[in-house]
Amino acid sequence: MVSPAFRTESLTKRYGRVLALDGLDLSVPAGEVFGFLGPNGAGKSTTIRLLLGLARPTAGRASIFGTDAADVAVTHRRLAYVPADVALWPQLTGAEILELLARTGPGTDRSYRDDLVERFDLDLSKPGRTYSTGNRQKVALVAAFATRAPLLVLDEPTSGLDPLMELEFRRAVREARDNGQSVFLSSHQLAEVEAVCDKVAILRAGRLVDVAAVTDLRRLHRTEVTVCFTGTPPDLAHVPGVQAVEMTGATSLRFTLTGPPGPALQELAAADVVSLAVRESSLEEIFLGYYGGTQR
Amino acid sequence: MRAPKPAAERTDFGRGARLAVTALALRQIRRGALIVTAVAAGMSAVAVAAHRSTVKDPADAAALEALAGNPAIRTLFGEPVALDDAGGFAVWRTGTALAVVLGVWALLAATRITRGEEDAGRWDVLLAGRVPVTTMVARHIVVLVSVSLLAGAGAFAGLVAAGATAGGAAVHSAGLALCGVFFAAAGAMTAQVFATRSSASGAAVAVLGVSMLLKMVGDGVAALGWLRWLSPFGLTALARPYDGNRLWPLVILVVVCLALSAGAAAAAGRRDIRGGYLRYPSGRGPRMRLLGSVQAFAVRRLVRPLAAWSAGVGAYYLLIGVLAVSMTDFLADNPRFADLAAQAGFAGLGTVQGYAATLFALLAVPAGAFVAVRLATLAADESGGRLTLLFAQPLTRARLLIGEIAAALGGVILITTVAGLATWTGTKAVGADLDLPDALSGAWNVLPIALLCLGAGVLALGWAPRAVTTLGSLPAAGGFLLKVIADTSGWPVWVGQLSPFAHLAAVPDVPVNWPAAFLMTLVATLAAAAGVVGYRRRDLRT
Repeated sequence: MVSPAFRTESLTKRYGRVLALDGLDLSVPAGEVFGFLGPNGAGKSTTIRLLLGLARPTAGRASIFGTDAADVAVTHRRLAYVPADVALWPQLTGAEILELLARTGPGTDRSYRDDLVERFDLDLSKPGRTYSTGNRQKVALVAAFATRAPLLVLDEPTSGLDPLMELEFRRAVREARDNGQSVFLSSHQLAEVEAVCDKVAILRAGRLVDVAAVTDLRRLHRTEVTVCFTGTPPDLAHVPGVQAVEMTGATSLRFTLTGPPGPALQELAAADVVSLAVRESSLEEIFLGYYGGTQR
Repeated sequence: MRAPKPAAERTDFGRGARLAVTALALRQIRRGALIVTAVAAGMSAVAVAAHRSTVKDPADAAALEALAGNPAIRTLFGEPVALDDAGGFAVWRTGTALAVVLGVWALLAATRITRGEEDAGRWDVLLAGRVPVTTMVARHIVVLVSVSLLAGAGAFAGLVAAGATAGGAAVHSAGLALCGVFFAAAGAMTAQVFATRSSASGAAVAVLGVSMLLKMVGDGVAALGWLRWLSPFGLTALARPYDGNRLWPLVILVVVCLALSAGAAAAAGRRDIRGGYLRYPSGRGPRMRLLGSVQAFAVRRLVRPLAAWSAGVGAYYLLIGVLAVSMTDFLADNPRFADLAAQAGFAGLGTVQGYAATLFALLAVPAGAFVAVRLATLAADESGGRLTLLFAQPLTRARLLIGEIAAALGGVILITTVAGLATWTGTKAVGADLDLPDALSGAWNVLPIALLCLGAGVLALGWAPRAVTTLGSLPAAGGFLLKVIADTSGWPVWVGQLSPFAHLAAVPDVPVNWPAAFLMTLVATLAAAAGVVGYRRRDLRT
């Protein structure tokens, strides 16, 4: 078995009376693109700060490729980071910032960097203070991808990017995966997570709620079924796995299906079905299912 | 749905918004406001009390009066007027220093709460509300003006409480307050011209430096006395508190202050938010020097501020050197006054070496402030997120911090060296007897105090990062004030001994106090080591 890109064991962080992270056990396999989801304040950025050694855990430990996260001189040789809120040195130009990061970093593929600058349409002659939010993110993204580090830790890296740049970002993530790199992507852009991630971990109120492959997540979760009948629809409320049955007309109804569809299909087979539409939930619906109606 | 609010209520809301802006401005400067007010009141009262212990009989007063004729003393300490009066003496001893302290505070506060807030983007959301930018700037100026007036009132209260007469105290305090108002308005104006806080502060400090120079030259050279009419410090001196109490210069200063304040507020309305009148080029070619390591990058960030500090310190010590002969000759001819000067805290002014040693001791204050400001900048870069990308690089925090400490240390050695060289150059120009090694050793003699500031600043960075400026400048600025106050107010001896200045030998007049220098360096090293430990352990503020 390959060693994980990083692993946390009972990782806990307390800020005064606030428990920001509560015993997180998470292992991210090398070579995967791993999504990290959760509402604001769930503890995603805290987890990332602990992984990077920017903050110290109250309890538990985090290790990156087997090395304790506190040993940054070693662990940071194998990772690159894009913070959620990129602040650049106001007087340095984009080119100077990239040079500083390349020369103090874990090593940079300069030709790939030039290629990324081109693709992200980044003007490197401007001083840091004149860059917009999106352009600051682009500078950090170019610097991170250009390291070709084995682990990329990206904290909401595309919140300021336009759709065209978002596509470039997804392309760069796929290139990293094809290259054997691991990507840990914290994001609110569920379409993006769905498009690029192999697996996701879902965090709520400092605790891990679920870890699953994106495809499994969708399969395991609610499927929406709309059925039209010639006559009166059968009563499905008692069928296992069927929920939220809703009459949408005199002869049609809609319900959600969780788990194996067998019992529901047997029930439907007995009725006179005119049409049947099955739609898998989007990640967004799954996500809202986790948090809908509850705080955090 | 709710109905729209009646017009009257909305007007009230606009007033509420303006009050909220005023409250915001006040909140950002309240601590500094209390400190400058307390310093103005305390120093004024202490100086009045010192007059009683220094000037014991009319003959002493006459000796002090002889000062008025000496250009060197006039240049350095201002034109002495009415020294026979306790109030007049206090004004001469503290007036210029207080005006500079209040002026520097006012201009830095002005650029911080106007341009600094705007540049950080915090004004965007405020200016999207009901308050237009001209009102925003005007309200901030009004708050700064109020604080300046409060500091003036503090000085008045201090003088009168200690027994000085009220008339002169009123004129002096008004002049002092107006100096604060002038530099608050000047800071608000440069904040409109420049788009970054550092440029705006730098320009306003330059205005203050030129104002001070105009006053010093006007005081020292009779033929150029009119230059004082061009400087707020000069106008304040021309009001001659306790010696005629002339109001005309103050009226002129009021008019200038009003014009400058109104101009700054009006100027705010004619520019882009986050922009200034001076535009920066939107792009330039890369300059890749000093980007190869964090240590080199620390040097790169140091170069510009170091040049500015060196220029300021160098100019002052060049003047000190040029004045050496005139000053020492005067004191050699007036031994009685040399005694008085010694009692007033300026001992050994009778020889060039003693004179240089006394003035080199002052160098510890800017040298200590320099290292405190460097560490405060590092703390601000951390909380501003600018260091985050560097913290994600494969290097330890200790390495980053030690690079920064080394740069600050190199910088302060350079500043003291510049001061020594400038003094030596000045003395050579007038043929005074000061060797280069003497000048350099006198300047370098303050390095242990600067090291204490460095140690205290690193300690604060490791354990209390919000207090870096305060703790970092404490050994130099706090120690200096403590020594002066303890010397003149008759506090127990051990209180004065707490100040590192009490253990600073008068180099080059006497040899270096090596045990004290060694002890200070040791304390500084231990404090810095404890600070590095804290910095490695704590959570970063990103």
